[in-house]
Amino acid sequence: MGRVPLPRRFRLFTALIASALLALLVTGTASAIQPGGITDEARKMNDLFWIVTIAGLVVFVLVAAALVYALFRYRRTNDELPPQFHGGGAIEMAMVGVPVLIVIGLFTISMITLVEIDDPAEDDALTIEVTGFQFSWQFAYDLSDLGTNTDPNAEGTIAVIGTPANDPVLYMPVDEPVEFKLISNDVIHSFYVRDFLYKLDLIPGRENKFTVTARELGDFQAQCAELCGTDHALMRFVVRVVERDEFDAWVADEAARQLGEGARVSTSGTQGD
Amino acid sequence: MATVAVPQLSGYRRPAVLEWITTVDHKRLGILYLYFTLFFFAVGGILALLVRTQLAVADNSFVGNDAYNQIFTMHASAMLFLFIIPVWAGFGNYLVPLQIGAADMAFPRINALSFWMLPPAGILMFAGFIVDGGAADGGWTAYSPLAQQTGVGMDMWIIAVIVLGMSSTIGAANFLVTMFRMRAPGMTMFRMPIFCWTMLVTALLQLLATPVLAAALVMLFIDRNYGGQFFDPNGGGNVVLWQNVFWFYSHPAVYIMILPGMGIVSEILPVFSRKPLFGYKAFVFATIGIGGLGFSVWAHHMFTTGSVLLPFFGFMTFMIGVPTGVKIFNWLGTLWGGSISFPTPMLFALGFVSMFLIGGINGTYSAAVPVDFALHDTYFVVAHIHYVLFGGSVFAVFGGLYYWFPKIWGRKLDDRLGKLQFVLMFVGFNVAFFPMHMLGLDGMPRRIAVYAESTGWEALNMLSTGGAFLIAVSMIPFLIAVVMAFMRPKDQPNDPWEGNTLEWATTSPPPDYNFDSLPPVRSERPLFDARHNGEGH
Repeated sequence: MGRVPLPRRFRLFTALIASALLALLVTGTASAIQPGGITDEARKMNDLFWIVTIAGLVVFVLVAAALVYALFRYRRTNDELPPQFHGGGAIEMAMVGVPVLIVIGLFTISMITLVEIDDPAEDDALTIEVTGFQFSWQFAYDLSDLGTNTDPNAEGTIAVIGTPANDPVLYMPVDEPVEFKLISNDVIHSFYVRDFLYKLDLIPGRENKFTVTARELGDFQAQCAELCGTDHALMRFVVRVVERDEFDAWVADEAARQLGEGARVSTSGTQGD
Repeated sequence: MATVAVPQLSGYRRPAVLEWITTVDHKRLGILYLYFTLFFFAVGGILALLVRTQLAVADNSFVGNDAYNQIFTMHASAMLFLFIIPVWAGFGNYLVPLQIGAADMAFPRINALSFWMLPPAGILMFAGFIVDGGAADGGWTAYSPLAQQTGVGMDMWIIAVIVLGMSSTIGAANFLVTMFRMRAPGMTMFRMPIFCWTMLVTALLQLLATPVLAAALVMLFIDRNYGGQFFDPNGGGNVVLWQNVFWFYSHPAVYIMILPGMGIVSEILPVFSRKPLFGYKAFVFATIGIGGLGFSVWAHHMFTTGSVLLPFFGFMTFMIGVPTGVKIFNWLGTLWGGSISFPTPMLFALGFVSMFLIGGINGTYSAAVPVDFALHDTYFVVAHIHYVLFGGSVFAVFGGLYYWFPKIWGRKLDDRLGKLQFVLMFVGFNVAFFPMHMLGLDGMPRRIAVYAESTGWEALNMLSTGGAFLIAVSMIPFLIAVVMAFMRPKDQPNDPWEGNTLEWATTSPPPDYNFDSLPPVRSERPLFDARHNGEGH
């Protein structure tokens, strides 16, 4: 080390690169947008996110440090030919072995999380049927399928239908599993609620389902995540998580408004335009 | 040097334009490929600046929603199909015959055909902008049924991509035959330059995967124009089928887009470290491994469709990280204990290694299936693909240009301007694309033309746009360096960098027939051996 002083320009240059890398690290970790999430499932995914992130940061820091060290330590200082080393068995085995161990570890943890979040809802859980269309959403609630302690013999369906200019609001109760059924009759859309840390596609000819249990009250912005045409960017909606009482009151109001006046809303085939 | 009398051209020469149009010389075709692809790199770059301008502020109305969809679709189509994939064919055309000590490609006329299919395809694809309904606007992924809805520009796009696929398929066959049959005496497969190895695996991927894409595109064309219903559930078709077939090509295509870049970096690092590539055979097997595993990970683009065998594709996606990790060790081991100098090509190669490292790490997020549920189709994925294809491939393209410019054009690009370009591009690249990780985590989906101010995404988007323009600025020193180089005489020696491989054994630029004589090939570094009298092994 330190056989000859570094040329000035070289020092400037490496300082620049080093600071750029450092800035990357600092912004990456310090600003650290917490994925967070408001559902049981999201919190498990958040944990997995941090495991992957920590593993990734360890790998990055080790490799980047080795790289920067090598560039300083082995910079050309004379015209001598360095030892011509081609590699060897043991080191090459380690080159394969270390990544294998890392990825098998991460894979195992991922699968555990996947199994945990992928538990289907009970039959009597509240079901919301989501229909995506160009370019908004319909959220339909079958009154006979509003969750435990509700009347399984109630008749009728209420629905919220949005437009690109008017984001629909999806009401759901807190602290209980809610099942989403996703359908589309035109093109592929994707039901993406950022704070669920989850998305699932709405695919013509197919019904996709998932279940979450929300743990936080409030309004959460959401939008379509699969390119679906001109106004894809305006296909937004709001998820409003409320207490069960408030949810029941909202359902009663809507049922009175939509069904009481004879304006029964169809649950399928509704087009936005 | 030459002891054999070579027949010389007599007085008659055809006009230069005709010479270039009718040429079957691999070097001239390689140069044509480079001009063509760099032109579309500029076009795709301008489209990218339009995208970034639109996204710089919230609720922007710089371009309309329809125009935006066309712009980002054509940005990706130009960059992938008209730049990155054929630019490697350009480097490969020029370098593979030289590196294996051959006089030309195996099928020179087919080689010319491969190239001349590109310009009509490029024109056809971009002519979409002037037809009714505009250019293709369904994303470069052209997901059905959305791709059934758009105008005739989409049909033009489909035909263009089929033609480009035919070009790369026959080009791949040409590369394979050339490398299998025309290597210089003494050059066993395991003495072949590492760039040739990466071209070989790339050609295999192209040969096996591209016809699958062609089949999918033909089905889509029939669906659109003749009521085929391959992808229409109302007619018994399957929407997800398109994605399966499309990604069966398009994931291997990502390796088609990066492997030759790894090859270029693996040529540059040893030369400027004055050491052999660390673990040559491990590198070759890792390349083959990436090629093989590349065919078993396509459905990781489809985790959120709900119709994918998640554990299998999650596992295979993690596994492909292993050969990728091996390559990082190859490059570190090459630098370790070397005698490293830092001319421009080396800087771009090191830029590749560091940015590709990030592109590998942020790719593991998508392999972890539950994390992919959150990040899929967000800007996180946009960040990932650009760390691989820009931080990786584009840095390798410029590294390769600075490295082989003296060989191809007999002149050297100015080193100070090169370093300036590198610094601007490196900083601009990270400013443009690193914030996209945060935007993706914060829920910004890709392919949206506008976002509301209430999302809070504006500051990071503005930053990213600034970075994109800095990348554009970084092209200025490059262009100046090119102009300056062409104003100087051809003064480059055979081997300005102390290279290892056979292309440095001939003049710069090489004669039509490439070599007067070849040095003996006793290792993967015949020129190193010649310089050091075979010692050092």
